[in-house]
Amino acid sequence: MPVDRRKTAVFSAAVLLRLLLFFVFPSLPDLLTGRVEVSTPVNSFKRLQEGLFLYTRNVSPYDGGVFHQAPLLLPLYALLPSVRDYRLPQIVFYALIDILNADALITIADSGQSVVGRLHSTSRKNIRWDGVAIAAWYLFNPFTIATCLGRPTSVLTSSAILYAVSNAVSGNSVNAMLALGLASYLSLYPALLFLPLVLLCYDRHATGSKVAPSTALFGLQNFGVFLASVAGLLAISYLIIGDFWEFVSATYGFQLLVPDLTPNIGLWWYFFIEIFDSFREFFLGVFWLHLAGYVGGLTVRLRRQPLFVLTSLLGIFAIFKPYPSISDISLYFALLPLYRHLVPLMRYTFFAVSALLYATVLGPVFHHLWIYAGSGNANFFYAITLVWSLGLSILVADSMFAALRDEWEEENPDMRGKDVRQI
Amino acid sequence: MATPAALPPLPFNPARVRSYILRLPLFTRLVLLAIVVFWLLELQTVWAVIEWGALTPDEIGIQSMHRLNTYPFIHVGFFHALLNTVALVPLLERFEAEHGTLTSVALFMGPLSTLPGGLYLLVEKLILHRNTSVVGASVWVFLLLGSEAIRTYKSHPSFSLGTLKIPTWTSPLFACVIVWILVPNTSFLGHLCAILVGYLLGLGYLKFFNPPEKVLRWVEGKLNLLGRLPHYVSVDQKTYGRYGVLPSANNATGERGSPMSYLGSTQRLATLRNLRNNPQFLFIRLPYLLSLLCIVVGVVWLLLLPLDEYSRQTYISENALLPGQVHTYFAGSEQNVFRGYKKELEGLLPEGEARNQADLSPVISEKIQSALRAAGLKVATQNYEYTSAGITHQGQNVYAIVQAPRGDATEAIVLVATWKTVEEELNLNGVSLALTLARYFKRWSLWSKDIIFLITPDSKSGTQAWIDAYHDMHSPSVQSLPLKSGALQGGIVFEYAFDHRFETLHIIYDGVNGQLPNLDLFNTAVAIAGGQMGIGANMQEMWNHDDSYEMRLQTILRGMLKQGFGSASGAHSSFMPYHIDAITLQAKGDGWQDEMALGRTVESLCRSLNNLLEHLHQSFFFYLLMQANRFVSIGTYLPSAMLIAANFTIMAIALWLRTGYDMESSAAAAAVKLEDNKKDEATPKDKPDDAANNKAVVERQLALPLTLVVGFNLLGLAPLYLFNNLHHGHFTIAASFIALVDAVLPLSVAALLARGSAHPPIRQQYLLIKSFSLLLLGLALSALATLNFSLSFMVGLLCVPLTFVDRISCSKAPVRIAATLSGLLVLNALSPPAVLVAGCHYAGVSVESVLTHAAFGWDVWGSWTPVVVWCVWWPAWLVGCVLLGVSLF
Repeated sequence: MPVDRRKTAVFSAAVLLRLLLFFVFPSLPDLLTGRVEVSTPVNSFKRLQEGLFLYTRNVSPYDGGVFHQAPLLLPLYALLPSVRDYRLPQIVFYALIDILNADALITIADSGQSVVGRLHSTSRKNIRWDGVAIAAWYLFNPFTIATCLGRPTSVLTSSAILYAVSNAVSGNSVNAMLALGLASYLSLYPALLFLPLVLLCYDRHATGSKVAPSTALFGLQNFGVFLASVAGLLAISYLIIGDFWEFVSATYGFQLLVPDLTPNIGLWWYFFIEIFDSFREFFLGVFWLHLAGYVGGLTVRLRRQPLFVLTSLLGIFAIFKPYPSISDISLYFALLPLYRHLVPLMRYTFFAVSALLYATVLGPVFHHLWIYAGSGNANFFYAITLVWSLGLSILVADSMFAALRDEWEEENPDMRGKDVRQI
Repeated sequence: MATPAALPPLPFNPARVRSYILRLPLFTRLVLLAIVVFWLLELQTVWAVIEWGALTPDEIGIQSMHRLNTYPFIHVGFFHALLNTVALVPLLERFEAEHGTLTSVALFMGPLSTLPGGLYLLVEKLILHRNTSVVGASVWVFLLLGSEAIRTYKSHPSFSLGTLKIPTWTSPLFACVIVWILVPNTSFLGHLCAILVGYLLGLGYLKFFNPPEKVLRWVEGKLNLLGRLPHYVSVDQKTYGRYGVLPSANNATGERGSPMSYLGSTQRLATLRNLRNNPQFLFIRLPYLLSLLCIVVGVVWLLLLPLDEYSRQTYISENALLPGQVHTYFAGSEQNVFRGYKKELEGLLPEGEARNQADLSPVISEKIQSALRAAGLKVATQNYEYTSAGITHQGQNVYAIVQAPRGDATEAIVLVATWKTVEEELNLNGVSLALTLARYFKRWSLWSKDIIFLITPDSKSGTQAWIDAYHDMHSPSVQSLPLKSGALQGGIVFEYAFDHRFETLHIIYDGVNGQLPNLDLFNTAVAIAGGQMGIGANMQEMWNHDDSYEMRLQTILRGMLKQGFGSASGAHSSFMPYHIDAITLQAKGDGWQDEMALGRTVESLCRSLNNLLEHLHQSFFFYLLMQANRFVSIGTYLPSAMLIAANFTIMAIALWLRTGYDMESSAAAAAVKLEDNKKDEATPKDKPDDAANNKAVVERQLALPLTLVVGFNLLGLAPLYLFNNLHHGHFTIAASFIALVDAVLPLSVAALLARGSAHPPIRQQYLLIKSFSLLLLGLALSALATLNFSLSFMVGLLCVPLTFVDRISCSKAPVRIAATLSGLLVLNALSPPAVLVAGCHYAGVSVESVLTHAAFGWDVWGSWTPVVVWCVWWPAWLVGCVLLGVSLF
């Protein structure tokens, strides 16, 4: 098997960088694990340790209301040496997951689905990065590195999503659905990605075969696979935990009802702290509807680029999820470089990137002022999360604009590069 | 049709009248209809229409606002209605034809009825105190007359009556007077108000009431009004403009615009549009102007702060503190106890000169412990050792806890007496006072918080070791505390470093990294010292503060300098990072206050802190003090540092924009491409396409600028590591070495950039380098401003030249080289090592001692001023020098 030298170099450099950071700054992983930007109640490594402790002592891990993650993580992490004795294996484990993610990204990038799909092919095909460059963007993104050292369990969700996409673009729809089932099982929200993912699979399938199968039938088949994979995982979980409703309410119920309002980089916590209890259910519904509402609209409007819909949805989830963390951002930023050809069409990149930079620096500062120095208050940090979300929204919206413009220029090649105004 | 010839011809053509009436536009018709309907309604007796709708000053209230809109439609009789209608129709028709139906409806249903009505009410009711009802459309007649008169005045300023020139705008006034005289029961005042509003309308002051044309068009388009309504005047059918003059008036001068006053804004807009179309100004000059403006305003802002208008008197926010509300009993026989303790400690000290140099020896420590134990306190000790820059600092803390008789050991106050003061003097009186107070406090039953007495060997490291260990955050070289109490609510350090009586209390309040204690604590100390004890309070070593502007400014600047350095200013500073508010009280001067007065002050402060129900939180944590009782809060002073930081960001954004459109760089890029194509003529087809693209938008080449800026920022870690890990003996050499690096490194990087590769960077890349570097600098400084305002402000000011340095592109080599060299000289004078050396020289201290202090701050106090210097300031400075240096090659 020929070894790709560049790929090897990038991968080993990424692992070495992570190990170097671990050895030079031994306190960094624990510091990052404690940061609200990295750890949320549904992905925190510390809470996982608590669940693991209870699990290995044959107590229900959901006792005590600290642990809210999927039960299958417990036997998986129980295989690793205890973090109290050895910290290195954990870091190596997470670095390997990052490498796997990068590998999936290379598959996605090399498939060229972002540039040429079944229904759409951009006129800027020559402006693109190859797979290794995109993998490097992912592996050397500071958010990815911070996530790796902070060890939240959401990287497994990211991994499952990336594998679902990479299987979809290589035409393996059953595997894609299985991976999406795993992602949904771990974090619930990836289930919303089903629609664009199945369209991606369908497009890939239809390109290969001469007679395009019926969309509805194809969708139903895949939905069956997806349901089966989720059901299978839930069944295994039931075998592990015993009390089905206990773990469902502690994990999915927790994610849906958002009872823990620990500050995070999202927009929910402050709102639900401020709101009167009588309106809580109503606004929970509204917030979830808002989050789910993007799926239909984007899938329909950008039907020709399902991979772009997936990317944009991941960006939107990273903003509007109940418990977002920077691992969600790193997933969005992993897929965004696939759309290098849209950058010339984007208008606010500098502004959005500056807003994100400012928020990245000011967020921890204001959190420090609020929590440690005591000279600020919650509004400081919340204001920065607003700026952060604003920067991300601008990025997402701007990339969507660019994608639409790209589609439009494909239809009207003579209008390329000209000023256009909506009438 | 046969018309009898005998009849005299009519003075007007009936066909024209008929067609005129048939052509009346929609709104005019509606008004006519309304007037007729209201006149008909008056004929019945059930409902008094006039009483219902007339504008009666006394009847106007919130319930009867409709009167302001209905009165023009209602008339008091047939002739009234007829006359008004005849007068109104031509005027209204003309107005509607000019402005469109929708605008007319909006104006006449709204402001053109209510404004004259309101004006009339105002005068009638509030000034004349009368109550005359008015009705009738004559208000509109006079209003429109007034507006028409202004219009006429614009084209024909006056008409001549013989030799007399009468301005045309007065004509409605004449009409008004004549009507008033000739027609009975007319309201002169009402007509006058209408004329006044008409003038305003004619002059264009009311045009903001006009609905925006876009909205009108939209409404029209959506509802298809033109198609559905007969006689509708569309927005587009308007005769000319909205408030423009009639075309006939314009044709004479031959220009479209007329010299009307409200056209001035259009001219201003034109100027702005010209600026918009001038990229040279917009992208190159304007950012420099804006940046300069930011800097100037930022500095002036700071200079304004000491003025009374911008600063405030201090006040106690936390009501629980009640400073000075209790009587203090620390006096009398306690003085004998104090003398006894002092004598005992003095006995253990060496005689003569060595007395003042004596350290806290184990013997003295034993004596202190036994004294505290004898007073009935729980006593413990803690050994610690720090090594920084090759110097070992070690010692033993002694502390004792007075357990609260009325508390549950969940909260505590710390009283600290350091063996050596901040100035390294022997604090014998302070330590003796601590022992006396411990014995005294033990006997009181009113404490609701534990009181911890802490005796540390020095002011630098002792409290740090103790407070770290109190929170279990200590390093291995520091012992854990065997004895602890609850959450610390406040700390007071007191120093009394001489044997004579003192005059004033000097309060030190700066913490590590520019953190400050809650202003309430400082205020309480000032209130107790000044108000209750009659001792003056000073700060920032301002002994002769006469409350003048200069003195206030000097106090602020001293405070900022201290805050900016971010090192501990006393034993209290170590408490601040743990969110424990603390201050140091120093006895200073030669006066008539004795140690008992200091003791009473501390007692009263403890009583105030003892009252606290929650942690000090009410008052400010960010402030600049300019006098013991005057301060500015963060909202007032923060903009100055933010403006300084913003100047870098503005420049970064402008440069980014400029790289996208820069004509010069695109030409250069094209030139590079042409050269490439000459070298290998493989792709001749791309050439015209590229050239076309280059004209519009330039693709930015980010790799080199990003690498360079990130590389320089990472390079900052090297001196940071160097200065925090060297032995203190090597600091002077290291500083010289860095100064040498500063001189050589930028030039070599510049040479490498300009000459090193086959493709030297194009202008766009240089601009991008500067843009990224300034963006990071602005980002770091604005974040820093929220943490340590003073440091951000000082670094920002020192970096100001970096906004303005750029590659000098002058064709004459000698001029260019001379300019570059002088620029480099200026920049090198403002480099971190140069500023350090100059500062040390000015303050009269050695560079080595300052760097040792900085390393100690980094190692022990956790001060991150070095990070700011080496990872924010230095990289930005290097990039500036590189950009300037490139012009040499």
